Amino acid sequence: MEHTFVLPNSGHNYDAKASKMGMWLFLYTELLLFGGLFIVYMVYRSMNPDAFLQASLNLNVWMGTINTVVLLTSSMTVAMSITAIQLGNSKLSLQLLLLTILASIIFLIIKYFEWGAKIEHGLWPGMEHFLSLSNGEQLYFYLYFFMTGLHGLHVIVGAIFIIVVMNKIKNKKINKDRYQLLENSGLYWHLVDLIWIYLFPLFYLIH
Amino acid sequence: MSNNTITNDDHHHITSYAEHFGTWVSLILLTFMTVFISVFGADLNTLTVATALFIASVKALIVAYYFMHLKYDPKLYRVMILVVMALFTVFLIMLTIDYLTR
Repeated sequence: MEHTFVLPNSGHNYDAKASKMGMWLFLYTELLLFGGLFIVYMVYRSMNPDAFLQASLNLNVWMGTINTVVLLTSSMTVAMSITAIQLGNSKLSLQLLLLTILASIIFLIIKYFEWGAKIEHGLWPGMEHFLSLSNGEQLYFYLYFFMTGLHGLHVIVGAIFIIVVMNKIKNKKINKDRYQLLENSGLYWHLVDLIWIYLFPLFYLIH
Repeated sequence: MSNNTITNDDHHHITSYAEHFGTWVSLILLTFMTVFISVFGADLNTLTVATALFIASVKALIVAYYFMHLKYDPKLYRVMILVVMALFTVFLIMLTIDYLTR
């Protein structure tokens, strides 16, 4: 006599709820990671209010505004792609995710030009002009490069995550009945947006 | 019909395209508002910082509630966000006290 042990949910090792909870737990740690940096920013800014104001004038408000609009738009397209897959329209979902990827590329290109301009002016930590700045202004640029850099890294990771998801949609691995991975990539992307919502006024809009 | 032992109770709600678009419009309006206040209201120094942070928080809430679907999710997610915020506030208060008493 043969006994085979069958798991109650064999063939259905997919647990959307647990997957989503796991993603959220990870996002909470991300919030604390950036939260810590915002506290550092707050302390140094309260110690050097004038230097931070002076240094922030080096940033281009309009480039920051365009990037905000780009990120908010990409957040909408990724949210809509979830609606599309829930309604069974994988094709539209893919197109909306492609728009999100395009937006992330536009964001990074603008960021590249912004950083490029700063580095050209010698504002990268350690450069000659940077070293001639006051202590407070140096702190501002350390924080600017570190925080927008870490955020930019999240943009790249988020875009790669979405590309992986797009491949799975193409292979029908993500579909109308099984789309938690898409939702998770969306959550990650919204977090990237959420952080930028705070970075933008704190670095660009000090006046 | 289905012998799935795990059901997805929280996946019944589908946000419409129109609602996502409306969310986007409100976020864009708030963005232009905060830029406008910052660029043209430069003389109200501390007030603009407070307003900018207030508007940013409203935007963050809109993103979390509508785009991140928290509004329609089980309460647990919102409670956990509150726990994270409380933890952050504790860090903030401890650090502020530290700096103020040096």
